[in-house]
Amino acid sequence: MTAMTPAGDFRSTYREDMTIFPTRMSRYALWLGIALLCLAPLMLGRYELGLLITIGFSAIAALGLNILVGFTGQISIGHAAFFGFGAFASAWLHEYAHIPVAFCIPLAGLMTTAVGLVFGLPAARLKGLYLAIATLAAQFILEDFFARAPWFTGGVAGRITEPFALFGWRADREESYFYVVLAWVVVMFLMASNLMRTRDGRALVAVRDHYLSAEMMGINLAYYRTLSFGIASFYAGIGGALYAHYLLFVSVEAFNILFSIQFLGMVIIGGLGSVMGSLMGAAFMTLLPEVVQAGADLLAGSPVDRALRLGASISFLREMAIGAAIILFLIFEPDGLARRWRLIRAYWKLYPYSH
Amino acid sequence: MTKQRIMLGAAVAAGLAAVPAAAQPIPVGHLMDNSGATSDVGVPYGQGVADTLAWVNNTRGGVNNRRLNVLGFDYGYQAPRAVSQYQAWSRDRVVAIQGWGTADTEALTRFVTRDKIPYISGSYSAALTDAGGKSGRQGVEATPFNFFYGPSYSDGLRAMLRWSADDWKARGQQGRPKYVHMGGNHPYPNSPKEAGEAMARDLGFEVLSPIVFALTPGDYTSQCLTLRNQGANYAYLGNTAGSNISVLRACQAAGVNVQFLGNVWGMDENAMKAAGPAANGVVFPVRTSAVWGQEAPGMAAIQQISRVSDPSGNAYRPVHYLSGACAAMLMVEAMETAAQGGGQITGERIRDGFYARKDWVPKGFEGVCAPSNFTAEDHRGTMRVPLYRARVGGDTSGSSTVAELMQAGTMKLESLGIVELERKREWLGW
Repeated sequence: MTAMTPAGDFRSTYREDMTIFPTRMSRYALWLGIALLCLAPLMLGRYELGLLITIGFSAIAALGLNILVGFTGQISIGHAAFFGFGAFASAWLHEYAHIPVAFCIPLAGLMTTAVGLVFGLPAARLKGLYLAIATLAAQFILEDFFARAPWFTGGVAGRITEPFALFGWRADREESYFYVVLAWVVVMFLMASNLMRTRDGRALVAVRDHYLSAEMMGINLAYYRTLSFGIASFYAGIGGALYAHYLLFVSVEAFNILFSIQFLGMVIIGGLGSVMGSLMGAAFMTLLPEVVQAGADLLAGSPVDRALRLGASISFLREMAIGAAIILFLIFEPDGLARRWRLIRAYWKLYPYSH
Repeated sequence: MTKQRIMLGAAVAAGLAAVPAAAQPIPVGHLMDNSGATSDVGVPYGQGVADTLAWVNNTRGGVNNRRLNVLGFDYGYQAPRAVSQYQAWSRDRVVAIQGWGTADTEALTRFVTRDKIPYISGSYSAALTDAGGKSGRQGVEATPFNFFYGPSYSDGLRAMLRWSADDWKARGQQGRPKYVHMGGNHPYPNSPKEAGEAMARDLGFEVLSPIVFALTPGDYTSQCLTLRNQGANYAYLGNTAGSNISVLRACQAAGVNVQFLGNVWGMDENAMKAAGPAANGVVFPVRTSAVWGQEAPGMAAIQQISRVSDPSGNAYRPVHYLSGACAAMLMVEAMETAAQGGGQITGERIRDGFYARKDWVPKGFEGVCAPSNFTAEDHRGTMRVPLYRARVGGDTSGSSTVAELMQAGTMKLESLGIVELERKREWLGW
């Protein structure tokens, strides 16, 4: 992933080439961004904060999927099941082991990693469509497990869980829980950015770009493919646990195949193989239904509604608009929001001499 | 400043203070399933609730001259979506919620109890009736803010089992009848499973192992073959009408001869038309004292309400629409009670409004809405279960509407009388 650097900007050391922040400005911009987000609970309403929290935990899970799909070149259409496993694991740990929620979240991530490694075993041997079907099986096996394991998940009735608490501080409101999610987003995104600078991270990319060459260079394909699955599951588990303690109710219904596809949508719309793209994709997929819903609300009862006799069908508009947006994205911006963002940035940076 | 001016100023100030208070609308949540697995019955019920609340706004100016600001939301029968919508509503400070499914209502009980928001559900799960939390049943918590209009799923099934036992004898059958529970693996069909099986055993039925079929329409031939091989005589259908139709049709094709017992959502006029002769003979509880087209003093009000969404006045309203209207009216009258004597319309006062009357029928709805009794310990609104049998005498697949078919007598709702259950303590919350 080369940034849009101007001509004549050469890197003379490896250190320079691997930096996360190509310029000093980008580092400042990030700090400023985080500082602004820290102020968000003071300025935004609970609805907006709720959306930001949703973007946060979705982005963590999407980033995990991006490491698997975008960086390692594998595929998974069972990501929501792992997300769900993390959610149930965290709720279960808190209910039965009485571990404070703050520690349940990372533990749930580790438990999900273990499950992910088991289901990742076929990934070491399979490629392409065959792997897709194998992960599809994981989705259904886990979903069925959720519905039939009342001791773990509360069965089909779901499980109610407690809000995040640490040393007497309870994050049971959007204003406070926002900071928990923000902290996790920063940590998880830093980890992913740094992973890509390590030997292991480069090995993952090598597996994606040309697995035969990678193998000839001494990269153990089976190991790295399984590792990638483990990492992706860890991210999904953390995202799921954060979801569980935000909604305070976990139900098997939420983690269906459509949700898995939605994660894939986030990754594709955001940009395959882009860390920031995962965040953008998650933001897009979270905000789009809200925008469409607002549009549908405006439409309800309006002359258009009456002329077309939409009535209850307006509910379906939301689902259709999401599908349409994904198709349009694939046609007009196949490299995702991350590329569009780079182009915009480059345009301003090089203005007015863009050549 | 003269005295007059002070008086004037005070009057204006008082006016300014009073006007917004009086005109401020009352926020009420309305959770609907218009697009999910139970939308077949969710649409008419939701329409009934929405029309009634709009009618209350139009004809009475809302409650205590404050309009109801009804915040509708279609959650597609997905409990997590309902929970997140609930959190949005609790921020909007809704004073009461008209809800829907069992999974979401049961998931929300702790929240509504904490936030003191009366929740009138479309779920009739018996687990919602133990208001004081005194039943001592495992997994049943106190639900002081959950209400619903009608008999619980369990009580509906108990009544039908009682009818079945009599029916078995009346038909002069020998031996023990066999009973089977059918439904999706979901909190709603599961809700009356154990209660029904226990009652069936008490009544001398042989209880077969339950048969699972999904909440959505599909091919359920294999379930029907199981039914036939087991030799079941009475089968409870725990799902909503749309999915039950698939079973009825498949069983008709497979030549299964079983008396089907639907739950309150398991059969209606639309389903009778869709299933055709396959629906003939299905027994199910109806929550209202009259159905569309029958004569009753309260029908005039229902017809007015119907015109809110159907100005022509030609639409046929299935049983669920009438139940939705009654459920909405209970909430409205409880709000009026809360507002009496200049009281604030708060969640707690609305809950107390539910306890204010005995044999409660909303005013103007006599003969339609069945009498309800709620107490602080017991939220089983009624133990009287009117049973009906669906009668389909001919082909319903043509272009005739439900209204025409009912008028022509091709489809009929035949009353089987009312089963009065005892208000047993040990049945509370079960």
